[in-house]
This record gives sequence, structure tokens and C-alpha cells, in this order.
Amino acid sequence: MTAVAERRPQQLSAWSRVRGWVRNPWGRPRFLVVFTWVYMVWALVPVLIAVQFSFNETRSRTVWSGFSTRWYWGDPVDSVWHDPTLRQAAIQSLKLAAADVVIAVPIGVLLAIGLARWRGWGSRPSNFLMLFPLVTPEIVMGVSLLLIFTEIFTFIGTGTDAQILGHVTFSISYVVIIVRGRLFSIGRQYEEAAADLGASPRVALTRVLMPLLTPAIVASAAVVFAISLDDFVISQWLSSGGDTDTVPIRIYNATRAAPLPSTNAIATIMMVFTLLSLVFAFMAWRVFTRDERRARRSQDLASVLDI
Amino acid sequence: MTMHPKERRGGLTRRDFLLRSAGTAAAMSGAGGILAACASETTAEAPTGTGGELLGPGGLPLARPDKRVTMPLWEDPIESGLEPETGGTFTVFNYPDYLYKKHLREFGEMYGVEVRYTAFQNISSGIQRLASGAVEPDVMEMTPDNLTRAVAGELIKPLNLDYIPNLEKNVWPELVSPFYDVDSHYTVPYTVYATGVAWRTDHIKEDVAALPQPWDIFWEAGDYAGKVGLLTEERETIGMALLRKGILDINTEDQAQVDQAVADLKELYDVCNIKVTDTQYQAIPEDTLWLHQAWSGDMISGYIYYLPRDTPASALGFWRDEKGKYPVQNDCWSICATTKKPVLSHLWLNYIIDNGIARSNFVNFNGYQPPINEIDPASLVEDGVVPEHLAESSVLVNEDLGPDSLQYGTLTARGQQIWQDGYSEFLAGG
Amino acid sequence: MYRRWLWPGFAFPGILWLVVLFVLPFYAVIGVAFGTVDPILFRPVPAWNPLEWNVGWVLEVLDRLKPGGTLFNVAMRTLVFIAISLVLCLLIGYPVAYYIARHAGRMKAVLLVLLILPLWISYLMRMLAWVNLLAADGYVNRFLTYTHVLSQPRDWLGGRPSTVILALVYGYIPYLILPLFASLDRIDRSHLEAARDLGASPLATFRTVTLPLSKAGVLGGAVLITLPMFGDYYTPDIVSQSPKTSMIGNQIDFYFHYGSQPTIGAAITIILAVFLTAFMAYYMWTIHRASREVGQE
Repeated sequence: MTAVAERRPQQLSAWSRVRGWVRNPWGRPRFLVVFTWVYMVWALVPVLIAVQFSFNETRSRTVWSGFSTRWYWGDPVDSVWHDPTLRQAAIQSLKLAAADVVIAVPIGVLLAIGLARWRGWGSRPSNFLMLFPLVTPEIVMGVSLLLIFTEIFTFIGTGTDAQILGHVTFSISYVVIIVRGRLFSIGRQYEEAAADLGASPRVALTRVLMPLLTPAIVASAAVVFAISLDDFVISQWLSSGGDTDTVPIRIYNATRAAPLPSTNAIATIMMVFTLLSLVFAFMAWRVFTRDERRARRSQDLASVLDI
Repeated sequence: MTMHPKERRGGLTRRDFLLRSAGTAAAMSGAGGILAACASETTAEAPTGTGGELLGPGGLPLARPDKRVTMPLWEDPIESGLEPETGGTFTVFNYPDYLYKKHLREFGEMYGVEVRYTAFQNISSGIQRLASGAVEPDVMEMTPDNLTRAVAGELIKPLNLDYIPNLEKNVWPELVSPFYDVDSHYTVPYTVYATGVAWRTDHIKEDVAALPQPWDIFWEAGDYAGKVGLLTEERETIGMALLRKGILDINTEDQAQVDQAVADLKELYDVCNIKVTDTQYQAIPEDTLWLHQAWSGDMISGYIYYLPRDTPASALGFWRDEKGKYPVQNDCWSICATTKKPVLSHLWLNYIIDNGIARSNFVNFNGYQPPINEIDPASLVEDGVVPEHLAESSVLVNEDLGPDSLQYGTLTARGQQIWQDGYSEFLAGG
Repeated sequence: MYRRWLWPGFAFPGILWLVVLFVLPFYAVIGVAFGTVDPILFRPVPAWNPLEWNVGWVLEVLDRLKPGGTLFNVAMRTLVFIAISLVLCLLIGYPVAYYIARHAGRMKAVLLVLLILPLWISYLMRMLAWVNLLAADGYVNRFLTYTHVLSQPRDWLGGRPSTVILALVYGYIPYLILPLFASLDRIDRSHLEAARDLGASPLATFRTVTLPLSKAGVLGGAVLITLPMFGDYYTPDIVSQSPKTSMIGNQIDFYFHYGSQPTIGAAITIILAVFLTAFMAYYMWTIHRASREVGQE
């Protein structure tokens, strides 16, 4: 072992590196490493396999016979492009997600700002109310929304309108949490500086606060889009069947019966949409906070150099 | 409540038709404000009429195949000889994916109206929406056991059969004046289906049809554990257990009989780890399930749409019992009281039971057999719609209906509760 | 600088929305559960006035939940499934969160991304993935028979509790690991270094410092996944359609979508919500007590 320790790292052969890892002279947590990577594989590989089978040549989801895009657009009957039910489900999913973003984000942003700064007696219960949807089991929300749309607000009934209203209801909380985090990290300093420079409250809000919140707003929009696309329970309970079924509902039905690779295909497509929107949010966040990060870095540098 | 096939939770795709539910929800029918606001009332009552027979909503009698009921006319039908209304919209209110929209469009072009198709998720919520005024359709789907409620609530209009000559011409004699609507005062039949057993002949060793009591196959399916299923329908499932023991009154409200049926069903947990699904029309052709309670059209649509090309049609098997021992159901059309185009609505009812239209609707889209004289097993086999070995069991004929046939009908509120709670117990897996 | 009413004004639309579409619907459930059923249209007639409440349905459901009742087994089974799933999630999730928080070093960012990824893959897609793998000729069976662990393919999807538990664990574990990671990440290294300086072995350090400090995260994550699990009906429905593995959510689903007694469905929902609120209240009280203890130190 002394021999290994004396030699420089570049001089170690692969074999002695493996041996060193096994003997573990530095006490590294080998079990945890292995365990964690095994977990990652277990968590993600099944999905990758499902994606792989969406490109299967035959209709089997278990036996691979070759690469083909038939389930996406090739097959004239069953492919996602040609099957009207799958296509309609995709359109419905996207429609609900878009409407959800357009409605939930403005309401949520306002709510976040309001809750973060409100000091009155109503602020704590309001805060509590905002957190509640996050911990409510979805079936309880589904039941309650179904009943309110069929008993009280019967002019809405079930269907697309009900689904949009339901989606917005659980999305608002996510927007608030994301925007509020950003609000706390910004603090009041910029608005106060603006006020010192003579800005009116309106200008301080629109020309100072809002631009600073942009990364959070964009991120929350992407998050709302993603969770709306993936929502199953609320969409199902408020669906009136047929055209109002979303992709998760179709996947659910198909999985219980006998899914085709086209089910894998539509699931893959939705997953790509979701991941793209998240990547977009991440990039937007980095672009919008680029100046801040640069400023912080130079600030840190200045403090280190004692300037 | 028996679920109509189209009421499967999770919505049906275009191909999901053929789920016939022991039809028409045996809706809760307790008449006469029985579920009063007693502070702790949960047990519904079973109101009886003068002759001791059970009554339905609005005090109307409960129809049974051997007990024909004439629906009272709450208003006069429209006059004969009027011209159809044109212009504006014409709204059809039905299950989703239950009608070939092409025919709807063609009807609209014929009469110069803009056609709309509004869907409901299940018939009882559809009736609720109609009653509350949330929708104002012209025609809608009706099922025999919801008929009583709809008439009691004055939600559908009486028919003038002069506008619907196809009824007598094309439709099966048994359904021209059916037991639930003598003289067809309110309804015109749409589809018909029966309940039996579907299986994979290449996996199930027994010849199900040849067993002394074919329903017993479920209780002897130990070798096929995990591949056996029953319909997600309280009426159908409990009804099957009753029929297996030879109890033919599938509208019984006898607690003891239902309890025994539920106990029998619970034996299936250990016998074959029974599943409860509504996907048999797809699962059996695709080989994920091998034995399932099913409706007569399931194997037809399974053959047309789901059977993989390399599997022979002979792999599909379907059996239904002899007449008087299996449940048969049918769906109908009615004209809504909210219609502004009564004459056109009558013409729609006539149109949909036209031979060509009904056949095309069935074969090209719907998969549910219409009770049309011309559409008989032989012609369906000839057209390749039905494989020959399934023709006898999967296709119904007029003679399958009649006073000695079995049909799940409306129960009283009390009866409804008994069945539902029994089924809930079965579903709880205890 | 800003008017005082500005902030409540901002919050107003959101609060109004949540009151109308979140709080009011709960009252609709209560109204239906304590209401009656219209005999003609056989739809629920909600009772909005508490004086007119018909407690029959709720009492009926409570009666069925007692030992010997028809819903007792389902309720017990739900609790057992959730308990086992939670334990498995913790056993698997804690080491992973611990490794990423404490030891990952350079790989930390990559591992974090991989950790978050399943959260954004639709739950149903992950279930679909397993349904494909667990099929009779799927990879799991093929692998197990190839390595001779099994002599012949096993019917995983034929209605097995183990499959349902596996699916629950797989589905919910990402929601547990993230809060766990967050709380482990927050633990100040100086506490650990102090313990080591005082002579504690790594194991003892873990036991006496890390574990107690992560309790809040464990509890938080546990609550975060058990609450939704109580309402889960789709997982047993996807991987096993057998009544023997059904959960309480399936009963609620039955009474609403298949039954003509939405009153019973609403009653079960109310009882479930009350149970979960009590559960949550206990959790909040524990957290409150724990944070007071820490503060007193």
C-alpha cells in the first residue's frame, strides 16, 4: 500500500486504481455510492426502456424487433399522428396546460407578492390556505370539484371548462412558492432604491420589481405547464368523456387493458414537452439572473481582494 | 346502478364501444319522496302500489319483460304531416363515440341544419343536466330503466310514429312495441346486447360452452389465476352469481339472495385471484386476459379492431346461455322536451334506424348491434364482420327478446342499495 | 412607500379563487354527504343548512369501517400498504439522499438533476414502464428466469399485493428523497466535525447528530408522500385490477362513478379527509414541539 501511496496518481494503472477503491484507504463510502447509482438506474432505466419500445417495429412492448417510427406517424391507423383519439388527447392536454399557465401565473404572481408583504391579520390564514392544496390528496380535490360543478355551479358541469378551473386551482400554489422564493432573495432593496431616486409606487412595481421577478415568473409558467400536462386525477374526474380526455387518461385506460407502443409513443411525446419546458425555464432563469450572478461574483472577488 | 358500457370510468375511445353494461342503470327509483329528510335516514324504501307491485319514480310501475308497461302521455304528440324545420342547429346528446359522426353530418346536410354532438359521461348525469336546463338538446340517448324517470320528470316528448315508418318496417318485432314502452310512446331502439363469457380458446382447456353450467368456469379457473376477470358492473356481476345458482330473477330485491351471491363471488378471490375490469374487449384479443365476463359485441369488436394479425379468429370464444337464462339489454333514442325542432327530431329517429345507416353505424364505427331485421348473423358473417364460429353466440336475433327473456330493470331505491352495497363489499376484497 | 391595502389587494384574486374553488367544494362534499337523494332523478340533494343535515350516510360508513364491517378490510389494507411503502421508501431513499448531500462532491449537481428527473416524468408513464417490464414476457421475467432465480415466469400483474407496493414505492419515492436531501444538505458540517473531534466514530456521529437533525426532513417527506397515497386508486388499478389489492380510494371511485350513492362516496371522502387532517395536525404539532426543543438548546 505504501508503494501505491508514494506513486503519483498518473502512474497508477487501472488495476491498482480498482484495487485501491476496493481497499478504500481513504474511507470513502463505497456502499453508498453503489447504492445511489443502483437507485438512479432503477428510477430511470424503466422509463428509458419504455421510450425505446415506442420505436418498436412490431406491436409488442416486451420483445424488441427493430427500430421504426410507425407508432409516431407511420402506422395509418394506430400511430399517434393518425389515431384521432390520441391526437385529440394530445390537443386537449396542450389546451388545458396553456389555459392553465395563462390563468394561474398572473393570479399566482399577484398572490405571491401580496402574501409576502402583507402584514395584516388575514395574512396567516391566507398563507395557510395557499399551502393547503399542496397536501390535499388529489382524489379529495377531484371529488370536491366534481360535486361543486355538478351541484352548485351546474352551468359549468364537467368538461373542458371544469378541467381548466380545476387545474388552475392546484397550480396557483406552485406559482406562489416559486415566486415567493425569488421575492425573498431580492428583498426590498431595489424598490427602496428606486423610491429614493424618486420613483412612484407604480413605477417601482412595474419597472423595478416585475423585471426582477421575470425569471421566477417564467420558471413558474414552465412548472405549471409541466404539472398540468402530467395531471391525471383532476382531469379524469372532471372529464366528460370522449374529446375531453387528456393524454394521461388515455395512457391510464390503455395501460389497464393492453397498451400498444403507440401508448409509449404519446407518453414519450408528452415527456419531451415537459422536459423541454423545464429546460426552457432553467435557461430563462440563468439568462435573466446572469447580471446578478456576475455582480455577485465581482462582489465576492472584491471582498476577497479587500477592495 | 348498472353502468351503461359507455360509462366506463376513464372515458372510452372510439374503439371502446362494445361495453354493454347491464345497461341502463338500475337507477334508484324509489318513488314518492321516500328518502325524506329524516335526520338519520339511509335505508331507502320500496314503495308498493295497489296490487302490491313495486313502483318506480313518479309512481309509475316498474317494467319487466313479462310485465309490460305503457308510459302515460304527459302531453300530446305533435301533429302529423308537418314540414321539417330547417336552419339553425340540431343537437344530439349521447355518450361519447357512440355515433358515426359522418351520418350526423349527412343528416345535417340533408335538412340544412348545423349539427352538434354533445356528450355526457353517464346517462344519469346527462338526465340531470337536461333537467337543470344546462343543455337543451333535440334528441338524446335513453335507456329503458331511465325511461321512467325521464317521463316522470317530463323530460322527453311523446312520439308521433307517423314520422317514423322505419320503426315498424326495419326494427325487430319485439322492439317495435317493447315491454318497457308499449306502443313506443317515447323511444326508438338503438342497440342491443347480451351478457356471456368470453375466453381464449388457445389457453382455456375446457370447452366452456359444453360445461353443464358454463358460469362455473370462473369457480374452476384455478389454473388461470390472475388472468380471469369480471365486469365492473354491480348488476352484471351479482346477476351472474345468481344465474349460476339458477336464480332467474335478476331484479330480485331479496337481501338473502344478494348476500349469497356476494359470498359466492368472494370465493373467487382465492380460486383465481379474480380481477374486475372493463377492458375485456381488448384484453382478450391481445392475450393479457384469458377468461372474462363479457358482452356479446365484445368479441366482435375484438375481432375487428384488436386481434393481432397473427392470431387466428378461432382463438376467440364467446358463449351465452339459452334464452331466458342470460341478460339482454337495449338502448334507445328519445326526443327531448327542450327541442325546438320536433319534426326534424322525429326524422332523425327515423333516419338512424334506416337499414343502411344503422348497418354502417354498427360496422364502421359503433360496434353495437342495432336491432334491425336486415342485419342478421348470416349477412354479418358474409361481410366478414363476425367470424363464423362466433355468429351464433355474439349476434342476437329477434327471438332472443320477449316476455321470457331476462333484462336488468329498474329497482326500487331499497333494492338498488342492496345490490350496490353488496357489490361494494365484493370490491373491497375482504 | 406603498399603500397598505396594496398587498391584500394583490392577494385578493388568488384568495378569492381558492375560496371559491377549493374551500367551497369541500363544503359541497359535506353538503352531499349530509344530504339526501332525490328519488326521481336520483341525484344527490345536498343539505346546505347544518340544521337539516342527515347524518345517516356518515354513520353508515363509520359503521362499515368498524371491525367486521365491509370496509374494514379495505381500510386496514390501505394502511398496511402505505406503511410498508413508506418504510421501503425511507430505507431506499435515506441512503441516497445522505450520499448526495454529504459525500457526492463533484457528482452532486449531476446526481441532483437525476434525482429531480423522475418528478417531471409523468406518474402514469412510470407506471406504464413497469407494466411493460412486468408482463409475462417482459424483461423482469426474462431476466429472472435467465438467472434461474425463478423456474418459470411469474404473473406479476395478476393481482399481487407485492406488485402494488412496488408500484407505490416506485411512484412516490422521488417525492420523499428531495425533502430528505434538502434537510440533510442543511446540516451544518461543523456539528459533525465537532462530534468527530470529541471522539465519536462515524457510525455514532450519524446516530447522534445526523439522524436527529434530519428528523424534520424525514417527517416532512413522510407526510408529503403518505397523504397522496391515501387517495391513490389508480396505482392498484393499473398494476392489478383485483379486489384483493384495492384501496380505500377505489371505494370512493366506485361510489361516484359506478354507483348511484354519491352520498356514500362523499361520506367516505369526508371521513378520509378528517382522518388525514388529524394526521397532519399531529405532524404539525410534532414539528412545532421539535423546533421548540431545538430552540431551547
